[in-house]
Amino acid sequence: MELGLKVNQATAKLEPFLIAQNKVARKPATETNNAACLSLPRSLRKRAIKVGRIRVVQDEAVVAEKRMKSTKLSKVNPPRPRPPIFVGLPLDVVSDLNIVNHDKAIEAGLCALSLLGVHGVDLPISWGIATDNSWSSYLAIAAMARDAGLRLRVSLNLHGHEHPNLPLPKYVSRAAHSDPDIFFTDLSSNRYHDCLSFSVDDLPVLGGRTPMEVYEEFFHNFRHAFSDFFDSTITDITVGLGPNGELRYPSFPPPSNNRPIIGVGEFQCYDKYMLADLKRHAEDVCQPFWGLGGPHDAPRYNASPNLGNNFFKERNGSWETPYGQFFLSWYSGILLSHGDRLLSVASNALGDLPTPMCAKVPFVHWWHNTRSRPSQLTAGLYNTHGRDGYESIASIFAKHSCKMIIPGIELSDRDQHQELQSSPESLFSQIVTACKKHGVRVVGENSSLIRVGGNGFNRIKKNLFDNNMRLDSLTYHRMGVELFCPENWPLFTEFVRSMVQPKWDSDDKPNNEEAFSIIASELGNDQEMQRV
Amino acid sequence: MALVHWKPVLHRPPQETPGVIPRWKRRSFLGRQICRPRPVFRSICCSKSSKDDRKRTRPIVSSGATQTPSLADVDEAKLLFTETFPLKRPQTIALQQDMILLLHICSEWDQPPPEMRPPDSVVIKDYAIETPLKKGTSLSEGHIIYEAQIDFDSNIPISAIHFVLKEEETGAWFQHKGRDFRISFTDSSNGGNTVDGSRGFSIWPGALNQIPGMLLKAEGSTSKQKYSKDTKILKHDRIIARFNKEFPILKEEFVSNFMTVSLTRSEDTHQKFVQFDTDLPGDVVVHWGVCKADGRKWEIPTTPHPPRTKIFRQKALQTVLQPKEDGQGNWGLFPIDEETSAVVFVLKLNEYTWLNNMGADFFVPTGNVINSLAEFGSALGTETSELVNDSTGQAQVTAEKDNSVTYSYEIIKEIKNLVSDISSERSKGAKSKEAQESILQEIEKLAAEAYSIFRSSIPSYAEPVTDSDLLKPAVELTSGTGSGYEILCQGFNWESHRSGKWYAELSAKTVELSSLGFTVVWLPPPTESVSPEGYMPKDLYNLDSRYGNIDELKQLVKRFHEVGVKVLGDVVLNHRCAHYQNKNGVWNIFGGRLNWDDRAVVADDPHFQGRGNKSSGDSFHAAPNIDHSQDFVRNDLKEWLCWLRKEVGYDGWRLDFVRGFWGGYVKDYIEASEPYFAVGEYWDSLSYTYGEMDHNQDAHRQRIIDWINATNGTAGAFDVTTKGILHTALERCEYWRLCDEHGKPPGVVGWWPSRAVTFIENHDTGSTQGHWRFPSGKEMQGYAYILTHPGTPAVFYDHIFSHCQHDISKLISIRNRNKINCRSMLKITKAERDVYAAVIDEKVAVKIGPGHYEPPNGSKRWNVAAEGVNYRVWETS
Repeated sequence: MELGLKVNQATAKLEPFLIAQNKVARKPATETNNAACLSLPRSLRKRAIKVGRIRVVQDEAVVAEKRMKSTKLSKVNPPRPRPPIFVGLPLDVVSDLNIVNHDKAIEAGLCALSLLGVHGVDLPISWGIATDNSWSSYLAIAAMARDAGLRLRVSLNLHGHEHPNLPLPKYVSRAAHSDPDIFFTDLSSNRYHDCLSFSVDDLPVLGGRTPMEVYEEFFHNFRHAFSDFFDSTITDITVGLGPNGELRYPSFPPPSNNRPIIGVGEFQCYDKYMLADLKRHAEDVCQPFWGLGGPHDAPRYNASPNLGNNFFKERNGSWETPYGQFFLSWYSGILLSHGDRLLSVASNALGDLPTPMCAKVPFVHWWHNTRSRPSQLTAGLYNTHGRDGYESIASIFAKHSCKMIIPGIELSDRDQHQELQSSPESLFSQIVTACKKHGVRVVGENSSLIRVGGNGFNRIKKNLFDNNMRLDSLTYHRMGVELFCPENWPLFTEFVRSMVQPKWDSDDKPNNEEAFSIIASELGNDQEMQRV
Repeated sequence: MALVHWKPVLHRPPQETPGVIPRWKRRSFLGRQICRPRPVFRSICCSKSSKDDRKRTRPIVSSGATQTPSLADVDEAKLLFTETFPLKRPQTIALQQDMILLLHICSEWDQPPPEMRPPDSVVIKDYAIETPLKKGTSLSEGHIIYEAQIDFDSNIPISAIHFVLKEEETGAWFQHKGRDFRISFTDSSNGGNTVDGSRGFSIWPGALNQIPGMLLKAEGSTSKQKYSKDTKILKHDRIIARFNKEFPILKEEFVSNFMTVSLTRSEDTHQKFVQFDTDLPGDVVVHWGVCKADGRKWEIPTTPHPPRTKIFRQKALQTVLQPKEDGQGNWGLFPIDEETSAVVFVLKLNEYTWLNNMGADFFVPTGNVINSLAEFGSALGTETSELVNDSTGQAQVTAEKDNSVTYSYEIIKEIKNLVSDISSERSKGAKSKEAQESILQEIEKLAAEAYSIFRSSIPSYAEPVTDSDLLKPAVELTSGTGSGYEILCQGFNWESHRSGKWYAELSAKTVELSSLGFTVVWLPPPTESVSPEGYMPKDLYNLDSRYGNIDELKQLVKRFHEVGVKVLGDVVLNHRCAHYQNKNGVWNIFGGRLNWDDRAVVADDPHFQGRGNKSSGDSFHAAPNIDHSQDFVRNDLKEWLCWLRKEVGYDGWRLDFVRGFWGGYVKDYIEASEPYFAVGEYWDSLSYTYGEMDHNQDAHRQRIIDWINATNGTAGAFDVTTKGILHTALERCEYWRLCDEHGKPPGVVGWWPSRAVTFIENHDTGSTQGHWRFPSGKEMQGYAYILTHPGTPAVFYDHIFSHCQHDISKLISIRNRNKINCRSMLKITKAERDVYAAVIDEKVAVKIGPGHYEPPNGSKRWNVAAEGVNYRVWETS
């Protein structure tokens, strides 16, 4: 391998020279190499992988050179680079037994994506599985991705999952056994077992250590384990900020029958630590009665806001009263400070790496067209009519130079249920606007693979090419049976090809000289791989 | 990464020179080469590290005089190049007869219970057993049948048998399309109440259908045979019809062969020849072309072409090689011209079998390339030698076994390929298109591979109910019984037709219904009907009804699907109103797309003078009853149901008046239309003695069970019994009625809960008809009962949109929260005059009736989750 890379570099450096000379100079190099023949598919597979690997080196060596050159040649503004595409690996790519799940499929999938021109993959790392410092399976996948010529975006998930089964570390469950209040709790005392409550962030509830200390150690361990990958392979590190990795409360109902979540959700402030904090807070504003519990008139999970209960009513709902404002600012404030704290911890551990950090916000678009926006409120986003809840989040992200991931890039208004008064488009642009204002870069993500479909891809493209949005990249979730199924795969390939392989207009077709430079430089974008 | 052996070879037709190309095993060949004292010049390249003294000038050895078989005079031929390629040929071969059947039971790798294990079974860990297959007693058509018999008692609740086959000798495993073989008994597992006795089935992967092997005998390769094997599985079952399935089992193996290609030049004519020599048997077609100058594009060689040559799509030639005289292999000699820089080829054995060089085309450099290889070295004693050119055109030998070097070699090659590809591509647009095509194909292949693995490896941790299972009911036995977690909503009442736009009105309530927790909605009969309510259908394919037109219906169904609610269509199969009168003035001639005549009408109703057979059930006297015993009727109805599924998007059926015809026909319809859920209306009267309802309603529920049984358990039925008993119990404060003598619920739900659809009211019993109205004011007690109990509860529209809504929605969310389903465990804890109480799944407790009840104080803490007049529901915390 070492040898290979050296040669790559040599060739890469040779390239500009050869180009500068003339085409004839190149010929011997090409002609005498006919020992390998026109490839049939099977060899292509290997080859593309190797080519992908070369690209990593060429990127740095050649691209800079080319850029200089092209500015010299033409003053025309080059078109904005297209946002690179990442594809999420299955959440259970490493199972709860710490083995690589269906590795053959992953391998084939990685090759296919690489050939297709996808930029990289998103590797979800589960806190519960890597907790004993057992990174080998994750490292194996990282190496697979690297060998396939793909970049890596690593997601450090501090939450668990029920399906697939990705539990939190065992010591968390042990701690929870004696103190179940370390988990989020709703009005009916249902506990959410897949994420620690924000209220215990700095309490020594995990065998004498605070969750923040444990998270920090986890980040350090990760950094140590993946040290080989930071230079060239890993492009971003995503820090999971809460349930499902999103900066939110688990306000959605407990899973049942895979039904879509459409109701308003419930407030999750009924663990004893939250309640204690609320009480303290209420006493601070001299309203002790406000601190006795959450709003009594909030509806149940699946209710629509206007059914029966008062809290979210369009007009004169409790949310608009001073009590409502008190409660909602406290509730969302806890969320914000959790995000801030966790991002500081992450920057302490990972901040000096060349790889930027990302974190995800939720995309709760149901009832966005109402005034109270109840499902955002229960998720902890105080984003009602006349109050922008995303500004404060964006400013925290900006403070930690963290990119913001917004899931839901594929959703468009007209595909939504009218009764849900949902508006994904305006919510998306609201969040992007907040980010722009604070200089936060935005990564788009699809919210659900199953529902993307043809319209979804068009919507994604529209968002990616929108000059006002200026998205940084796209993560497409997730690799798995739905991605490769005959209904979806053709749509996906068509989408990726249209993204990575723009058609040349006749007048911006480069002349030969330029062509070489572009080929060489754009190898990084996999463009030529399509045609090789 | 071809193995390349350069050596001087005397050119002779192969049959005369057995020593030159030994019949081989490659290893021994190499060994011989190495040991032989005479100078042997093997490849080629020398690495920079190799010593100078190992470099030699490559000798070009003239061949001796040889015969040339057919083509040209190559007597004075100069051997320029020879290369031997190892080949791997796929071959379908026999399964060894010593098969082991690895059997495991149930979807989740449980070991079969001891009484099911056939003799000689070996236990494998704790999840399976291995059972050897025995030669069967029966011989069919001369095939030997191997079988294993597994007997089991139907009281054992198993849902399926999974098995895979293992070849004892090689340890190879055989699966079915990448998954376990599976025999499903889904319905029988629920049928514990009604079925007993023993069943059995046999598996025989036998019928060794010996097909004369194609074959080839190359020395050193083992002789092969080709078998096809079938597995037949037969299952006998009392309630399930015979079940027979065949799976093909094929096994592929790779066989090693070789192909040697030599390049010679005739001294006289300077004509070059490429000689092929292979031990591949049978007809071998060389699919070949040549490369000119620096190109890497396939071109057609100049004429003359060798005999038995076809031109393939103006791109390549296909030449059949000649068999060698000793019958062991083939050879051929192709002339090529001076300008040719290389010959490229692949081999075709038959339509489906192509051989290439480890994934790439075979490539034989000719012409000047050879001359440019100025220096050669020999690398004796190495097994692997790689041909590598560096960018200056110098030849090198890498004589290392180390894999990492091989690896880096590949990388180098890739760079080269990349560079050369790009250059040639820029000049040749057409080629890039071709290459692009092949990349796309490769991507497709990889994606398909990934898809198949992902798909087959899903169930390792799947939820008990996954979406994909719901959408695709098991193929072996379709069953309209859903996931067990359904909660039905009857989405109309007797007056819903009045506005003429019910579909649109209901459409506005889809989100609300979904958020209340319903998972299935039952829509009114969609067809054109003589009565406005839809139960007197006329033209089945006309879906414009008083509820709205077909487009509105489709829109409504779509909306429900969007919010995750499945939709049942109300289909009336018992009777149909005629379009025309016969010559006697009787209405029994049908029109529309299903223009049946009086043969479609049962014979035993004098009103309609049908010419069909006698009715297989009770009669509905207001319209001609359809004779389901007629094949054309059944086929038409099946087609219609499938059309409804596809066109409208219905997920299942509510079957009207199923008392009117045999349940076995319903089974046919269900199996043809594969609904997700189906429920039949079998409504007849309960038993009364002197005007007082009997405590024991077993006869009544038995009739409903019998009907479900006749459908083979493919459909559920409304639990009329439970409704009736609830009436009396609530009306007369006789709550003791809610427990039968075995301590179980007295309705259908007590006997076959997974098929019982419990309800307290529908459009007939209640609404504005009120044929059998539930005791007024006690509806919530009824719902507290059915929504906490096993069975699939159905809630009537009028109740949902009444003051009860809040209470009903509470009960539904308790049911969902605690995952109560149609098969939940029920324990009746109290059944007295004024109070009935039960605990469900040990998670939920319920009491109805004015009397006092508290759930047992055990380790659990019970919290009141819902309460109302004369009912209360608790949950454990």
